[in-house]
Amino acid sequence: MTHLTIEQLLALREPGLEPGVQGWRDHAEACELCRAELDRLDQRVARIRALPTLQPSRNRFADVQAQYRRGRTRRRLLALSLGGLALAASVALAVVLGPRLGAGPVAAQLSEQQELDDIIARSRQLETVIEDYNPDRRVTDGRTAVVAASLEDRLAQVDRQLQLVNLMEQRGRPEEALRLWRERVGLLGALVDVHTTGATYVRY
Amino acid sequence: MNVFGLANADAVLPGVKAGDPAAQEALYRAFEGPVFNLARRICRTTEDAEDVLQETFLEVFRSIGNYRGDGSLWGWVRTIASSKALMRLRRNKYRETDELQDDVTPLRREDTALRMDLEAALERLNGTSRAVVWLHDVEGYTHEEIATMMNKTVSFSKSQLARAHTRLRRWLGEEVPA
Repeated sequence: MTHLTIEQLLALREPGLEPGVQGWRDHAEACELCRAELDRLDQRVARIRALPTLQPSRNRFADVQAQYRRGRTRRRLLALSLGGLALAASVALAVVLGPRLGAGPVAAQLSEQQELDDIIARSRQLETVIEDYNPDRRVTDGRTAVVAASLEDRLAQVDRQLQLVNLMEQRGRPEEALRLWRERVGLLGALVDVHTTGATYVRY
Repeated sequence: MNVFGLANADAVLPGVKAGDPAAQEALYRAFEGPVFNLARRICRTTEDAEDVLQETFLEVFRSIGNYRGDGSLWGWVRTIASSKALMRLRRNKYRETDELQDDVTPLRREDTALRMDLEAALERLNGTSRAVVWLHDVEGYTHEEIATMMNKTVSFSKSQLARAHTRLRRWLGEEVPA
């Protein structure tokens, strides 16, 4: 008589009744060898279930929380619509520079506008690099996560200042916008370094 | 398993949904052990399992709004953990060497000296077989659920389980000479 295969023995342990299972069950009840094999299978599964619960060797909660906070900050930054910020800055600068074009050296003012456009373009490039790298989907060590989180917090502050400055531009402070955009580019550059090289000491 | 923690995890749910760090930590503490254990039983290394632990909780905190409460919270977290562990397994597959292909070799007398304990035998299984054994025999997933998680067929899951038990039986010295 043919004994049950491992597939048939495993099928006997499944809930429900597949075609043929009742025949196998009848065989297992009648055949001492197959019954013993089924018992061994049950015991093996019980032993696997009884294996001790393994515990992580170190606490990862701080890493999880830092990464979660970073993700939230990034989402908030995106919600601020940086494109809108850039546009507002350019328009504001144009509004301020427009009336002055006849009064001061035209070349210098155009150069200021050009520098702002360049910095904004650079800022967008760096954001694209970070988005492509997609740090949210990567596991980072705690130190890197902490440095990245602090850079992103600072970035959020700069963006808030930029929003204020954009409102104030109507009263003429283009140099402040330039300074903040330069700082923004510096922070984004540092963030790229942290993500791509794991640098935990950055200057910008 | 932290049964007390698991049983009370639902109590911190509103806080976790609001992004409260204390509630997040309470949830983490409640499920940290079982999530790591599941990940470690599926992944080859402790480092991979710890990464899965981190990825799982990050996903849990981000997606907690999607948890509708129609199943147990642990069941929901466990599905995320299983999915992350299987993803890690697939990512590392190219590095993984299959276990010794000795299942076609008849048991020899000297093989009894190779009898190993259950932990070592499980470790010796290839990643996919080990994952199926753990998800089916311990976590209680059906072959249909495992097939969906692995993006494979039900037959694949069943055959992996059968292969794994054939090997475990041999390595544990449970074979009875005919």
